Amino acid sequence: MANTAKTFRLALNMASKSIGRRKFRAALTILGIVIGITTIVSLMSIGYGMQTEVGSALSDMLGAGITISSGGMGGMSATIPEYVRDYVLQVPGVKDCVPVITTIMEVGGSQTMVIGIDPDQAQSLYHVTLSEGRLARHGEDHSAVIGASMAERLGVHVNDTITLSSTMGGVGNTFTVVGILRSVGSSGISIGCFISLQAAQSLLKKEGYVSTLLVVLNDPSQATYVEHSIKQLFPEASVSSQEAILGQVNNILNIITGVLLALGAISLAVGAIGVMNTITMSVYERTREIGMMKAVGGERSHILLIFLSEAAIIGLIGGCAGNVLGLLMVYVIKLFASTIGLPFTIPLIISPTIIAAAMVLSLAISVIAGLYPSWKATNIRPVEALRYE
Amino acid sequence: MSRAVELHNVVKVYELGEGIKVEALRGVDLNVEKGELLSIMGPSGSGKSTLLNMIGGLDNPTSGRIIVDGIDITGMGEGELARFRRESVGFVFQFFNLVPILTALENVELPIVFEGKLSSRETRERASDLLRLVGLGERMKHRPSQLSGGEQQRVAIARALANDPSIVIADELTGNVDRETGSKILRFIQHLNRTLGQTFILVTHDPTVGQASQRILYMLDGRIISEPPKSVETPSKQVLIEERRQLILAELGWLRSSLIRLEESKDSMKTELYNQLMAGYASKLESLKQAIQGSQEAS
Repeated sequence: MANTAKTFRLALNMASKSIGRRKFRAALTILGIVIGITTIVSLMSIGYGMQTEVGSALSDMLGAGITISSGGMGGMSATIPEYVRDYVLQVPGVKDCVPVITTIMEVGGSQTMVIGIDPDQAQSLYHVTLSEGRLARHGEDHSAVIGASMAERLGVHVNDTITLSSTMGGVGNTFTVVGILRSVGSSGISIGCFISLQAAQSLLKKEGYVSTLLVVLNDPSQATYVEHSIKQLFPEASVSSQEAILGQVNNILNIITGVLLALGAISLAVGAIGVMNTITMSVYERTREIGMMKAVGGERSHILLIFLSEAAIIGLIGGCAGNVLGLLMVYVIKLFASTIGLPFTIPLIISPTIIAAAMVLSLAISVIAGLYPSWKATNIRPVEALRYE
Repeated sequence: MSRAVELHNVVKVYELGEGIKVEALRGVDLNVEKGELLSIMGPSGSGKSTLLNMIGGLDNPTSGRIIVDGIDITGMGEGELARFRRESVGFVFQFFNLVPILTALENVELPIVFEGKLSSRETRERASDLLRLVGLGERMKHRPSQLSGGEQQRVAIARALANDPSIVIADELTGNVDRETGSKILRFIQHLNRTLGQTFILVTHDPTVGQASQRILYMLDGRIISEPPKSVETPSKQVLIEERRQLILAELGWLRSSLIRLEESKDSMKTELYNQLMAGYASKLESLKQAIQGSQEAS
C-alpha cells in the first residue's frame, strides 16, 4: 500500500464521519461493546481486589506457617493431646509450637467463635489490636478479650463480666472483660473472644487436649519440608501449611472469577455481533461510494482500512466507556457492600493491567468482528457498484 | 507520438448464467489521438458504457487488446488496474458519485491520497488549485449535499483531474444537470481540452455534447458505425389502434371473470360489500364503454 500514514488519516477521517452520520446506530453498537467491557472490568477488578485482600488477611492472621488440627468438626474438636507439642518441637526447622483451642461457645444466648490460647502468644500469632483495656496476662484464667461487635451486642465494657458456656450444655464460667479488640489482622474479620487455653480446656472439659497446634517456623521457605516431617510423625493428623490454605482460597476465587468472566465474554460476543452488523450495514449503504473509490484508484487495502477504522473507533470508544463504567460499578458495589454491612471490604484497586487489557480486548474484538464485512467491501467490483442504484 | 487510446478488435461478452450470453462489444477497433475531444453516441444498450469501462480499466475485455497511453492494460490484474486508473485515467460519472460525508476539497484529495506521492500539504494545495480551476474556490468546505448539481459535477471534474491523468473519460457528463448548466460544463471541458491538452472521451445521449466535440463516433449493437443510426420509426396509427384494442379486450376479460367470481361468492358476503364491489365494476364497465367508443371514432 502506498503511503500508510496518509491513507490511515484518510481512513480515520472517513470512519469518524461515517459514524457521525449514523449517530444513533453507532451509539447502540458501542453500547453493546460497553456492556461487555463494563462487566469484564468490574468483575476482574473485584476479583483482583478480593484476592489481594484475602491473601493479606490470611497471612496477617496466622503468624504460624503450619497448622496441625484434629480431623473432625472443621478442626474444632479438641482431640490432640497437648504433649504432642513436645514431639513437634523436636522436628528440625520448628521454632515454636503453640497449642490452641478453637471452638464455638454460647454467650448471652448466641454463639460465638472462641479461641483459647496463652495470652502471650495471642499478640504475635493473631496480630490483634485493642480499642480499649489491655490483653490478658499469663495465668489470668478468668479474663477475656472480646471483639468489638460482640461487646456492642452484649452491651459490655471493660471490667464487666460475661458468661461463656459450652454448646453441649453445662453451667459455664464467668469471665471479666479486660480488653476490647479493634480488629484482628488487617481485615475486619471479627473473632468473638480470646480466653486462656486452660480456661477453654476446662469449659470444654478437655483438660490436656487441644484442637490446633500452630507451628512457627525458623524459616518460612522450609514449610513444605516441615509439613512433610510432621505428617510422617502423625499420619492421622490434618496438617496444612499456610501456603496451601492460601492456594485453596485462591483456587476458589479463581473459579468464581472465571465463571463471572465467562459471563462477561458472552456479553462481549453479543457486542461483537453488533459491530459486525453495523459494518455490514455501512458497507451495504456505501456500495456506490466503494465502487467510485475503486474507480478513482482505491485499492483493496485502502477500502479495508477505511472500514476497519470504523470498527476500531467503535471498539476504542466502547473500551474507554466500558473502563470508566466498570470502575464506577466497582465503586458502587463497594458502597453497597459496606452499607449492608458485609463483614469484609472490597478494595477499589485500579489495576493498569486490567484497564489496558480491557482496551486491547475491546479494540481487538471490534476489529475482528469488522474484518469479514470489510473484506466483503474490498470484493465489490466498481463496474457493478456504479451501476447499482 | 503514441496514441492516447488504441483498441484492437475488442470483444466483451457478459455471461448471465445458465448459458445466456450478451455480447456487449462485438469487435471494436478504435484510435484516439492525444489531445482529442471525442464523443461516443448511440442508443441505450449499444455498448457505449462498456467501451468506456474498458478504456478506463474498470473491466477486462473478453478478447482483443487495449493500449492506453502506450500501456497495454489488456491482461492487467486487479491491483495493477487500480494503479493504472489512479495514475492515467480521470473518471466523471453521470451521478457525480462524490463521497457524501466528505467536503468538496476532501473528495478531490481522495485520488491524490490513494496515489500517496504528495505530502499532506501538497495534497491540499493541489486539490485547492483544482477547485479554483473549476470555479469552486469559495465552496471547498461544502459537502456535496450543499452544492448544486452543476457544482457537484465540477467537483467531479476536479477530482478526475487530480492526478493529472492522460485521458479523462466521462459517462453522460450532462445527463443529470439542466440544459444551461450542461452547456456551461461543456464549454468548460472544451476549455480544459484546449489549455491542458488532455484527451477527453465523452459518452452521451445529448447531441449538443456531440456537436461540441472534434469527432463523434456512433455505436450500435456493440459495434462502431460510421453513420448515425436512423431513429426508431414512430409506430403507425394502425399499430397504435390495434394495441389499444388489445388492451380494452384484456380489461373486458378481467371484468367478466371478476363478475363471475363475485356472483359465486354472493351468499357468503355482506350485502353492503357486494353492492360496493358491484358499483365499482359498473363504473369500470362504463369507462371501458367510453374507451371503445373513442377508439371506434378514431379508426
